[in-house]
Amino acid sequence: MLAVSVVPGSPQAPNYRRFRSGAGEHLLVVPHTRIFDLSHALAASLDVDVQAADRFAAALGETSELEADLAAVVTPAPQSLSLNVSSSCNLSCGYCYADRGAFGGAQAATMQTVVAEQAVERLLAVADPARPITIGFLGGEPLRNRDLVHAIVHFAGGRAQQQKLDVRFSITTNGTLIADSDIKLFRDHRFAVTISIDGDAVAHDAQRPLRNGSGSFARLAKRAAPLLADPGRAQVAARMTVRCDRFDLEPRLNAIWSLGFPEAGVAPLRVAADGSELRDDAWPIYRDALIAVASRELERAMRGLPIRLTNFAVALRQIHAGASSPYPCGAGGGYFSVAADGDWYACHRAIGDKRYRLGSSAALDESGRRSFLEARHVHAKADCRICWARYLCAGGCHQETGARSVASCNFIRDWLDFCLASYCELSSTRPDHFAHRLKPKA
Amino acid sequence: MPPSQPKLFARNVAAVRRFADPSNLLSITAGNPVSTRLESGIGNCFPGLECDLRNLERRFFPFLEMDPIDNFIFLASVDTDGVAHAEAAGDLSQADASVYAGLADDLKAGRSVLVSRIAGTFGVLGPLSLNLGLPALGQAPAIDGDLTIPSTGPGRKPPDAWTAIRLLNEGTDVTLVFVNDDGSKTSTLTAKRARYLDDNGALSAAFLPGELSQSLCSPWTHDFRDCGCFYWASNHPDIAQPLLSPGTPAGQPWNAPVPWERRDRTVRATPPAKATEAPSEPIELRHYEINNRWQELHFVVGGREITAPFSPTAVQGAPFRDLTELLANLNYAAGVELAVAQEYLAAAFSLKPDSDPSLQANPDLPGDVKAARAELMRIAIGEMRHTRVVNDVIRGLSDAGKFEPALRVASQVPHQNPGPFRPVMARAATRQAIDDFIQIEAQSTGVDGLYNNILATLQFPPADVKNRVTDEWIQAIRSVIAEGEDHFETFLNIQEWLSSHSESDYLRALAPPRPPAGNPGDATLQAAYASVLNNLYTGYKKGRFLGADEINAARASMLGSDGVVAKAEAVARQNFLVTFTTPADPRFTPIDPPGVLVA
Repeated sequence: MLAVSVVPGSPQAPNYRRFRSGAGEHLLVVPHTRIFDLSHALAASLDVDVQAADRFAAALGETSELEADLAAVVTPAPQSLSLNVSSSCNLSCGYCYADRGAFGGAQAATMQTVVAEQAVERLLAVADPARPITIGFLGGEPLRNRDLVHAIVHFAGGRAQQQKLDVRFSITTNGTLIADSDIKLFRDHRFAVTISIDGDAVAHDAQRPLRNGSGSFARLAKRAAPLLADPGRAQVAARMTVRCDRFDLEPRLNAIWSLGFPEAGVAPLRVAADGSELRDDAWPIYRDALIAVASRELERAMRGLPIRLTNFAVALRQIHAGASSPYPCGAGGGYFSVAADGDWYACHRAIGDKRYRLGSSAALDESGRRSFLEARHVHAKADCRICWARYLCAGGCHQETGARSVASCNFIRDWLDFCLASYCELSSTRPDHFAHRLKPKA
Repeated sequence: MPPSQPKLFARNVAAVRRFADPSNLLSITAGNPVSTRLESGIGNCFPGLECDLRNLERRFFPFLEMDPIDNFIFLASVDTDGVAHAEAAGDLSQADASVYAGLADDLKAGRSVLVSRIAGTFGVLGPLSLNLGLPALGQAPAIDGDLTIPSTGPGRKPPDAWTAIRLLNEGTDVTLVFVNDDGSKTSTLTAKRARYLDDNGALSAAFLPGELSQSLCSPWTHDFRDCGCFYWASNHPDIAQPLLSPGTPAGQPWNAPVPWERRDRTVRATPPAKATEAPSEPIELRHYEINNRWQELHFVVGGREITAPFSPTAVQGAPFRDLTELLANLNYAAGVELAVAQEYLAAAFSLKPDSDPSLQANPDLPGDVKAARAELMRIAIGEMRHTRVVNDVIRGLSDAGKFEPALRVASQVPHQNPGPFRPVMARAATRQAIDDFIQIEAQSTGVDGLYNNILATLQFPPADVKNRVTDEWIQAIRSVIAEGEDHFETFLNIQEWLSSHSESDYLRALAPPRPPAGNPGDATLQAAYASVLNNLYTGYKKGRFLGADEINAARASMLGSDGVVAKAEAVARQNFLVTFTTPADPRFTPIDPPGVLVA
């Protein structure tokens, strides 16, 4: 990694967040997401003198030799790539960001194998060979270009073997087109398979109809069943989109889990093509519904069972590790998305958007990357840079910046408060829940 | 032991990484080290190294700063802001506030203000009303006041003003009468003796930064010369064993302490003159001289001056093969403790009693004999304690219900030259006996060698020991080894103290005979000894807590006018050797060293 520039933080930025849980009094030190338990006496004294508390937290938050400077803008080697392999879809979900893969005409043609191969070649050439490399398949519905998916997996797998690289795959699919050959492919390779499913048949069919208007749930359930029953080396998870018109998360998630999905994540719409995104008044309702489901999962975890809500499981894992980043995702850093024409974009949601185009398989636009990352560093965002959640949230999806509001940010902070307290309680009661997640740093 | 209530506990990996090894997730993040706390400071009243505690008493009365000097108390300042604040808050009456204001006005006008009378509760001396000293004020003559030196006997008063204030009970009423320097005005205030610390144990906010250290020793090198080791406890010995001349082994006459700050720094083939109670001039570096020559003072490690880098030598024992061998050696170790305790007691009682007029022949002799006897007794008691420790460890390692107390006196004890054992020999504290005791306690060769092997077995346990070891047993054996080192050094001291006297000067007899059969004094001693053994056996057998009655009884039977010690003294007074006869009882049959055939 090469540090090219620095975006200084705000002197007004809070260095800590005080919180309490069933396990006692705690301090989140914002830089590097460090969590400390406080004696009641220390907690009381910090609460009396917030300036002293902030200085105290700043000292606890000093960057150590093992950690990256949070103000630095680094352009790491690209490590993962998504290929937008299909410009069409057999479903017609109203909220789709990709216009069923056509991106408003920006990606009219379907990706050719040679384009995908060039992209993969480029990725394998520039990635850090000591770390895992991920190749993802998106669309549209990627399995509409099944031949390419299979070809690229074999192509990349062969290269990985030659070059002794750790190459993994991911695919996001609506699940309705999964064929037996696909299941074999997923099982035999290290595939992270994310299936978009919005709940039980009623909710799902309302939100995710086939192009002819009929529901897609039954087809999805049937096609996904063999994979769920025997995933092989694949990791299968569900992704449930939440629209503004229904917040019955729990029954919908239960329906998904009952199909055999070990985990399901939820994603509320902030920007939606059909206007179904959550507005300010909806965020508290969504928050309460999400925390209710997570509370149930926390009770399960306290009994030693796995957490099935991906959002919660990931949050706890990241809090445990002290995940701390000035970026919400790897866009333009370690992650790129390749359009059907071979151009590299910072993000799969921005195909066709010139502001996100950062090169091609021939060459990356390094100065474009730098300015892209400088502009999107959390220290460069006026409202985010003075938020205590800045290194956990980092401002959220770049595509959704315009939809950021006090209400939606309050949801993030409330959710993080809940996760922080849950982490302290779970790690007190069941430290073993986190024990196996402690891996030595590479 | 970690503190039970840490103030700050690193919970997640990132927090731990900030301070420690990330794999050690549940380590406790310590706060400031204990050495930074006020109570760890080398503070005293004379005037202190890190803080001068006398400065606390300058704030003993609310809103006032005082200067206690001899039997005077001068007013130094008035906290008028504090007075105003307290009055506004309703914590101080208007009348009192105006008294404070008057005192402040006097000081402002350049007039001295003194306390002429102080009434309150003075700790152990109880409620008193004391007149303090006053210089001549206006027409009035100087007054000595009630404070007197010496401060002894019934109706005693504090010796000086600072001590008087120091004695005042926190939170009790104190009444002060003030007088200004022309004697024209008196005023009175009553308030509670101020608190010096807040609820958290931190210094009260009444004290300004630097106030506690405003009267420290300076320059320190100068004071280094002036103040003795009772003052510079940690880094300034008055006396130390001298730097060894090159190629000279430790031993007499190099073990005698010499003045550490001696002026003559030459290292000769003979040691410097021994330290005496004679005046330090001109032997020691002079006050100003030491400002320039302090670098020549030697480091002292283990009581000995050194100039080369110190390299500690770790003694490592060799583990025994299995539980059987370990238990055999533990049983023998208990026997050795009993045997050497008996040898040390025989030696202690062979020394002339303090009342012996012949000790007066040499001015050092009474003190040397008294110290040697006291240390022999202390070490003997230490060995008895070790017997208990070893029994606890044996119990811990034994199968439930199979524990048999180890109270068999050893037939032979470890010895170096000739080695590895020698028979147990009760005898007077001759030079040879003390030499043998030094060998017994010598690290790695004597009984400590045995314990080092035991410790190694517990630390690197063979399979059948592994599940029985607890940290408690390891620490118990460690403490026995550490005390053995203390015994070793103490015997070196005893050797040194007695070396300048002839054996006949300090021994009742060089080779006292054993008491003849039927000697009534000895018979009662042996009966008492048998009773001690029986009590210990029963007490150990019952185990901790349950056996407390018997063990306490054994301990109690040692002391008092009818105790074992008194009975032994009666035997020694007849010029007999004090010995202990093993009762004819299989529980107490003498034990041989394990694995050694005894002829």
